[in-house]
Amino acid sequence: MTITDSTPPLSKGRTLSEGGRRMSDETFIMLLVGGVAVGLFLIASVMVPNFFQLLNMLNLVTNNWAVISLGVGVTFLLVSGNFDLSVGGIVALSGVLAVWFAQSPDGANSLSTGLGLPYWLAVLGAFFGALAIGAMNALFVVRFSIPSIIVTLGTMMVARGIAQVITQGSQRNTNLPDAFGVLGNMTVFGTWVKLPVFLMVVLLVVAIFIERKAVFGRLTFWIGSNPIAANLSGIDKGKHVTYLYLFSSAIAGVVGILLASEFKSGYSNRGTLMEFDALVIALLGGVAIAGGFGSVVGMFFGAIILAVVTSAATGLVLSPDWQYILKAIAVFLAIMTQTWALARRNR
Amino acid sequence: MMPKSSTLAQTSPTFANHVGRFMRNYYIYFVLVLVVALLSVANLDKFDLFERGNFLYERNIINILRISAPLLTLAGAFTLLMVSGYIDLSVGSAMSLSAVVYAMLAINGVPFIPAFAITVVVGAALGLINGILVIRLKITPVIATLITLSLYKGVALLLVQDGVSAIKSGGGLKMPSWFNSYGREGVLLGLPMAFWMAIAVIIALVIVQNRTLLGKYAVATGGNPTAAKLSGISTGKIVILIYVLVGITAALAGIARSSFMSLGDPLSGDGMELTVILVVLLGGTAFSGGEGRVLRSFIGALIIMALTVGMLTLVPAYYQTLVIGAALLAAAASNHLVSRKEASK
Repeated sequence: MTITDSTPPLSKGRTLSEGGRRMSDETFIMLLVGGVAVGLFLIASVMVPNFFQLLNMLNLVTNNWAVISLGVGVTFLLVSGNFDLSVGGIVALSGVLAVWFAQSPDGANSLSTGLGLPYWLAVLGAFFGALAIGAMNALFVVRFSIPSIIVTLGTMMVARGIAQVITQGSQRNTNLPDAFGVLGNMTVFGTWVKLPVFLMVVLLVVAIFIERKAVFGRLTFWIGSNPIAANLSGIDKGKHVTYLYLFSSAIAGVVGILLASEFKSGYSNRGTLMEFDALVIALLGGVAIAGGFGSVVGMFFGAIILAVVTSAATGLVLSPDWQYILKAIAVFLAIMTQTWALARRNR
Repeated sequence: MMPKSSTLAQTSPTFANHVGRFMRNYYIYFVLVLVVALLSVANLDKFDLFERGNFLYERNIINILRISAPLLTLAGAFTLLMVSGYIDLSVGSAMSLSAVVYAMLAINGVPFIPAFAITVVVGAALGLINGILVIRLKITPVIATLITLSLYKGVALLLVQDGVSAIKSGGGLKMPSWFNSYGREGVLLGLPMAFWMAIAVIIALVIVQNRTLLGKYAVATGGNPTAAKLSGISTGKIVILIYVLVGITAALAGIARSSFMSLGDPLSGDGMELTVILVVLLGGTAFSGGEGRVLRSFIGALIIMALTVGMLTLVPAYYQTLVIGAALLAAAASNHLVSRKEASK
């Protein structure tokens, strides 16, 4: 873990006196979460037949590309001390907008009649629709300083509400150009890897670079761990948080467009509870809800933990109703272990 | 009196100040009157006032108040919780779980009173779990109640057998005939027991807030937790007690909903946490705690129910999410503007 050893002591629990020798709390938690993810996977492999297979391992990641991608934006915002619960709503909105814009204007009924824009313009329009919700988040959180949890719950409902009005409470899936289904289903470089999964990997790499090496990422940690100090050091906190909300809504917008393309439909209930799943995997991955602490890699391992737990439950032929209880237990244990481990370490 | 308004009164008792305070204390009633007025004139071209089809038609009012019972029951205790600076995202799930438990007891032959009492005890236990997670295990309220949201919902879903959507008559078991009278049958002014229970809860909680130490301690805990602790208030116990109160009202809300629908639906409380937060914010409660009135949240609940149900006659149902979301943002923004004005004075 040479990367974190060379960074200046920015994270909360890191002690200055020990210099660069000691592993930072962030790395410690990241390794802990990673260890738990691997451990759970091995346990599941022993208990569930056919669990230990390469394809299954890959599926744990590829089936969750949407939530992991959303988790990146949510993690950055949490690190800066803000919630983003609007991402699920944005996923629905951008998908529905893309479909509505692209549908040809001569449909038989109102649900099959769209604006008939060219495909690229439809996607661009949907993307800007998503950004508009992000801008709204930033406006209320930064300008009006209203608690972000309330704001983003409100914008989540507004975004989903607009999607429901456009789809009249159901979905739009007719009268679409053939090009519409390409993006979400195409594979890259002649392999079987789908474009959305590839984009998720690119996003993760870029996010990890920004988090560790770019000024922008380190500023996010500063703002989250001590907003007042950040303000006094001349950091424009409002601008930074605005960028983060736009970043998160942009990711959610792209996810929505890709999902709409994958299913060739704009469904107003798509992405329901994705905002909670994105929050849950960030928490599982050791991101502190108070801000200033956490990592994208941790969030990724958090997603693996959740995926292992839920798919192992399905493999054990538990009723799907169990997933809520398992999720609750996993988050509870993750929070308690992390608090306990950090307290022990920094005693 | 809340500490904030009493200091205000001491500083500058000008006319503008009086007007401002009057508006702040009573604006919620104006909003209610405005919403009712708008809804009742909205389709006057088609229906006469107080006639069938108009918002003020007697059966319509009774119906709205009957449907409102769960939300009206929840609003009071939740206000106290937010006043003390805490939050409970699990109320919806606790309500669903209580509804399922109540329906299960009833369908298996337990009479009304014991079934009612057991469900309320279950609700109190659910609230106690939240309180312990937050206070004893020191988990942030949002996360702790997010955990229990998932947990209670999972248990409610597991209690209902596979392949069945809710606890209801069928498979040899039959809902007793008394089951839906609590939520439906008019006992006074055409309104059912569930509604009057909501009124009783609100009156009790208004008294708790205005006349008892618990109410004062709740404000103190939310306004300045450290100061409250240093003045000898055991804030932890207060907060646990309020979580239990929220759990009890969630159980009462679950019973009301379950009785109204004649079934135990494990999803019946879904989204309720958002509606309650909206209602409490609409009533002017500060999200950060330290300020808020039970009665105003009650009025806020009436406004939201009038709006969402009354709207159904004017626009299609799929407009509801958008309107509620916009109302939530508007309520939060107006709260902010009011409190900023107060701070600048």
